[in-house]
Amino acid sequence: MTELTPADRRFAAFDLEDTERERTDLNGHTIEQLSEYLDRGQMPADPSIDDSPECEIALRSLGRLRLAQQSLLERDLERESLRDDSWVASILSNITLEAHAGREIPLTHPAPTARLVVTEGAVRGILRETGDRMQNVVVGRCVLVGDVGVSGMPITILVDVTVFPGENIPLLADDLRQAMYSALGKHTELVVAAIDITVSDLQAVPDASARAQEN
Amino acid sequence: MPGTVPEQVASPLDTAADQMLAERAADGDLRAFEVLVRRYGPLMRVQATRVLGSNDETDDVVQESFITAWQQLGTLDDPSAVKSWLMRIVSRKSIDRVRARREHANIDDTDAPAPESRAPHALAETLSQTEALSRVLAGLPEDQRRCWTLREIAEYSYGDIAAELDLPLSTVRGLLARARKTLLREMEEWR
Repeated sequence: MTELTPADRRFAAFDLEDTERERTDLNGHTIEQLSEYLDRGQMPADPSIDDSPECEIALRSLGRLRLAQQSLLERDLERESLRDDSWVASILSNITLEAHAGREIPLTHPAPTARLVVTEGAVRGILRETGDRMQNVVVGRCVLVGDVGVSGMPITILVDVTVFPGENIPLLADDLRQAMYSALGKHTELVVAAIDITVSDLQAVPDASARAQEN
Repeated sequence: MPGTVPEQVASPLDTAADQMLAERAADGDLRAFEVLVRRYGPLMRVQATRVLGSNDETDDVVQESFITAWQQLGTLDDPSAVKSWLMRIVSRKSIDRVRARREHANIDDTDAPAPESRAPHALAETLSQTEALSRVLAGLPEDQRRCWTLREIAEYSYGDIAAELDLPLSTVRGLLARARKTLLREMEEWR
């Protein structure tokens, strides 16, 4: 018997130089096409692939390669995650907060020659912290709309928040708005015409299983 | 204390969606940025190490990537896509390193196929599939490995790989096909 064994045929299809053999062996398809077919979840079904035993063998090999890749990635990720934390500290210590300071907002000062400002970034920080001190709500992006550079000019503040499921959203938004007015009144001289709060999402309650969503 | 970070207190930010974290970080919130660093730093390290071919420069490249990310977060149009954005930054910086290294060494043969002795045939029986794959990947010619890593880890499209590496699309297609076939053929050896 001189007929090729299935193993030999597999090698022929994986030949680097001979794409003719590849198409002949794979019912007119290439490994690349089969790989894309696998990426699409083998949908829509292609009978010229599904009904070919040779393609089935190649698809199985591609599937095994994929699994091996996944476990290699998981192994490498685990190895990286087990490192001590110094790399995180090193990154954070090389970061300059000035990058996000934003516009300067004047504060009055008794001395006419003194110039006192608070940055937009600091104001956004005050708004975030106000939210973080409350339960069951996380403050996201905060935008100061209006000319903050002119003392006494009314501005509007837009705040995105996510809340945990089960909260009374209008009540929570009211509490947050009041807390933000009061914090801004304490730390700035901004005249705030409105704080518009948008609940953009519901957030899962933090727990141990939530680590699973990390990738 | 140098080299340590205070014990993490469970915070709602730890489980916050990428979009929320990216938006807060763009507003200047270092805590949100730290969560992103912890969430995607390991994957970025894997990517940098694979593109660079070793982990000698991984620390530097990943650190540079995060500093760039911090400075440019405001330009990110879709904050929910922060993961692929970070993967692009680290991929680009890794590729730049490889290019700079090559210019510095002034050698053109870095793309030559790995010597046959690095192929895993002899080791196959004693290695797990995972370890064997790791070795075959490391033994791929550099241009193939780079394409493969951009595709598989950073999830680039073929067109994006071509743009990133400044290669014709047909070349990228060919490199990926060769890498895929080599990996498949070597896998037959492990069985």
